[in-house]
Amino acid sequence: MDKINVEHMLAIEEPFMKVPLEQLKREVRQSQKLAEREMQQAHLALAGLAKKQNSMDSADYTEALNGLISRLVALKQKLEEAKHKEAQLIQRSKQRATDLNELNDFTSTTQPEFQRWSRTRLERVLIDYMLRSGNVNTAKLLMEKGNLEHFADSSLFALVMSTERELREDHSCHGALSWCADNRSALRKIQSSLEFDLRLQEFIEMIRAKQNPEAIAYAKKHLTSWSDTQLPRIQRAMTLLAFPPTTTCPPYRHMFDVTRWSDLAHEFRQVIFQLFNLPSQPLLYLLLQTGLSALKTPACKSEDPGEHNRNCPVCQTDTLGKLAQSLPLSHHSNSNLVCRITGEKMNEDNPPMRLPNGYVYSLNSLTEMSRKLGGKVKCPRSGETYYLADAKKLFIS
Amino acid sequence: MDSLIRDCDKLAKHQSSAMNKAISAVDACIRSLDEAREKYHTSDTCTGNSLVKLSQSQEIVSEQLRELYNNVNKYGKHVEKTFKMDLRVIAESPAFDGKREELAQAIMLHFLRSGDFELARRFSLDSGAKGEECYSTWRQFEAMNDMAEQIRAAPDHRLDAAQEWAAANRAALERLGLAGLEFTLHRLRFLQLVETTGNGNKGSGGALEYARTWFPRFERDPDGHMAEITQLMGVLIYAPRVHTSPYAAMFAETRWAEGALEFASAFCAVHGVAAHSPLAVSVAAGARALPIVCKVSGILRDRSSNNNNSNTTATATATRHGMAEWSQQDELAVEVPLPDAMRFHSVFACPVSKEQASADNPPMALPCGHVVCKASLDKLARGTRPGAVASGRFKCPYCPGMATAGEAAGVHF
Repeated sequence: MDKINVEHMLAIEEPFMKVPLEQLKREVRQSQKLAEREMQQAHLALAGLAKKQNSMDSADYTEALNGLISRLVALKQKLEEAKHKEAQLIQRSKQRATDLNELNDFTSTTQPEFQRWSRTRLERVLIDYMLRSGNVNTAKLLMEKGNLEHFADSSLFALVMSTERELREDHSCHGALSWCADNRSALRKIQSSLEFDLRLQEFIEMIRAKQNPEAIAYAKKHLTSWSDTQLPRIQRAMTLLAFPPTTTCPPYRHMFDVTRWSDLAHEFRQVIFQLFNLPSQPLLYLLLQTGLSALKTPACKSEDPGEHNRNCPVCQTDTLGKLAQSLPLSHHSNSNLVCRITGEKMNEDNPPMRLPNGYVYSLNSLTEMSRKLGGKVKCPRSGETYYLADAKKLFIS
Repeated sequence: MDSLIRDCDKLAKHQSSAMNKAISAVDACIRSLDEAREKYHTSDTCTGNSLVKLSQSQEIVSEQLRELYNNVNKYGKHVEKTFKMDLRVIAESPAFDGKREELAQAIMLHFLRSGDFELARRFSLDSGAKGEECYSTWRQFEAMNDMAEQIRAAPDHRLDAAQEWAAANRAALERLGLAGLEFTLHRLRFLQLVETTGNGNKGSGGALEYARTWFPRFERDPDGHMAEITQLMGVLIYAPRVHTSPYAAMFAETRWAEGALEFASAFCAVHGVAAHSPLAVSVAAGARALPIVCKVSGILRDRSSNNNNSNTTATATATRHGMAEWSQQDELAVEVPLPDAMRFHSVFACPVSKEQASADNPPMALPCGHVVCKASLDKLARGTRPGAVASGRFKCPYCPGMATAGEAAGVHF
């Protein structure tokens, strides 16, 4: 049981490896698109210039060339930045893969190196939780202390938090829409209607502000392209023009509801997490929930504090025990016996011994006790005293 | 994994060269346009030249970036092949809904247990979780951490505070079977004195005097420290060149970390708190359980979507909402193998019925020492199972021993 199942350990690290990879893909794709567009436009402009060269006056020509040059200089600058960012992401991917690869060197969970590795994993799981839940300063301190910047996806979560805040508090779609524009093809692939929902909200806000002509123009420009999939909603949106923001008519009252901004913030988070293959709950939740479940036994729920074990996480009644309250119990098709005195496992090497009163302890613990008490043993639960010879060996198959 | 890392190195190399080529191609364009601007009055072919240059560059840039994109995708495929599990197959559990406070507290206690008091303060500020004044354990952990750090990390490895604490808590330590801590601390101090003052023949404060003051107390100790004391006194012959002596292993640097650890876990035991951070233990258990729960959820989900196809909608929906939601069950569907250090309670599973013992179905020991559950015992006695003979006597399912239900005795693990 102390062996390390590397395959299993790696299985839960998918998001850890996926985030820098997806960021890298986006970065490369964006710089590729930008460069192709800019080069193509420069080519067209220069070709036009070459044709008209003889009929142009020199000041115009120089100015046109200057314009071209500064565009290319800007492109070069952008490519330099992209080069740096991409290299950083590749480096990050390697650092993470290298950390996970260390697992192959460990032989047992009791090895100090493995325990150090596990500590680092706990730290990055906590950083992920802190970043997701907006405890940015704690996340920062954790990163500084452990030198773990490269294991944290700070930039991604910073983007999520700031965009959410903008939607929820400032009631502005600006950041969310520009993110949609950068990720349009990926959004189409997962058939997300996020962009439509944002556009619809802007449309609703125009009606709320009584800018009906502008709203109609906006709908023409931004909503009509969604008519294939969103026609009923477009129709309902247009009907909204007939209602005042104070309406009590249910579907339209709902559309004017300001809580829609919180829904949008939530939707944005869901969509961006989906694109990065991130589970919607922090990894800390998933690990704690399944871990507490795997540790939970009927004894942890017992009302008798004597059944509790101070080292057991589920027996921490004020904290983790409460979190484990509604979680399933662990499943056992084989017995697992733990000595109450030493906490050691009882098996063939350290067999369970039944005292005449029915209580069972490990042979090691009873032998040790009888050495101290001159051949006698005292049951810690009932206080009765017996000779070690009275204890009867049990066989657990 | 090794090949993935190699691929990553390759990608890094390629990325740098591709981007450099693309950038220098753009740069060549800029230079050629600069030239065209300068020579406008002297030559009329330079715009044409620049146009040729621009076409070339355009080709280079698009070729380099396309190839880079392809390589990134290739690396991406490799990553995806290595990390196949999608954590999103497991249904979101509502188990922590409305329990932010308890979670925050568990995290706070983890920081305290790890000696990260600054983190605990920062987290309480950040999250609005209860602060320093609400934790009775805060001072305790601070004191423990101070003493443990003095042993482990202080340049002169100070032991006095820990020794004072151990002496003051002698009764509690003895009750918990941890009386050995006091001896451990004395041993560390003795070895330290041997190291710094030699065999201490000259006057007070030396190792010999220390041994004479403290060790006799342990000679009748039931823990049997006598053998160890004999060994420790042997060290004196070699002082001060202990590091080349047969006793060099006793002076290994790790002794300080081990001592600090023993002290910390005894301290936790006396105060009735867990020896290891419960949060860390839970997460480590989760790292073993999560992949298994994911796998089972994935299988159940596939099965329920197959059922859907075969159009048994009612049962399929039941499966999807009931079975696939692992966290809504009374018990996990499969066993999660955990290391022995993460087993805190005895669980008896009847070898006959495979059912877990409970208060209604307690484990019973047969006269031969084999243990089965009460329900299985009753079945054996009723003769409904193979191996049963008349008159309520039956054969133990695991050995030739014979028994009756009345001979079986209750067992409390």
